[in-house]
Amino acid sequence: MHQDPELTGEHAHEHAHTHTHEHTHDGVTHTHEHTHTHTHTHEHPHDHDHLHDADAPHTHTHDCDHECDGCQAPCEHTPMEELTALMKYMVGHNAAHARELAELAEQLEKAGSHSAYEQVMAAVSDFEKGNMRLSVVLASLDEK
Amino acid sequence: MCLSTVYKDRMAPESILMKNVMRIDCKDGCIILTDLMERSVAIEGSLLTANLVDGYVIVEERVPA
Repeated sequence: MHQDPELTGEHAHEHAHTHTHEHTHDGVTHTHEHTHTHTHTHEHPHDHDHLHDADAPHTHTHDCDHECDGCQAPCEHTPMEELTALMKYMVGHNAAHARELAELAEQLEKAGSHSAYEQVMAAVSDFEKGNMRLSVVLASLDEK
Repeated sequence: MCLSTVYKDRMAPESILMKNVMRIDCKDGCIILTDLMERSVAIEGSLLTANLVDGYVIVEERVPA
């Protein structure tokens, strides 16, 4: 991800250009077409990462008036920080799913299926036990 | 709900734009993806599919004329 350290939005791109040049050889003037690559610098007041062909990260200026905190703030994270963030999300997400399943069980009970209610609630209990184990792992990761 | 993987044009490993996407905003022809770590990627294009059950989104990049 491109992050300009000076936050000036200035960065360089490599471009290929085709030019026609006039040459004179032995008193004869003629033109050649040739292509060369050069790098030049752009200034962008507001950049976002983009993914273009060949998956090359690249930035452009946009007129979009959207929040850009993620671009301006330092966003380098270690793999462990990312895994911990993902674990934290999953634990919270699983807890939300457990609540949804418990609500589903109650609806089954109201619909007259007590047996299904008991089975789903037993599954919710198992699910919560598994999530508790994940919480313990997360706590140990947070301590590091 | 669940985090999604966002693909460009088609659902293939080499077409992944961003994983663990928690938010998608569409504004002025741009699709802005934000992942769990608050990183943002913008792509000019449109939304083709958002499968919220299987957790994937496909966007089509606008190719400049």
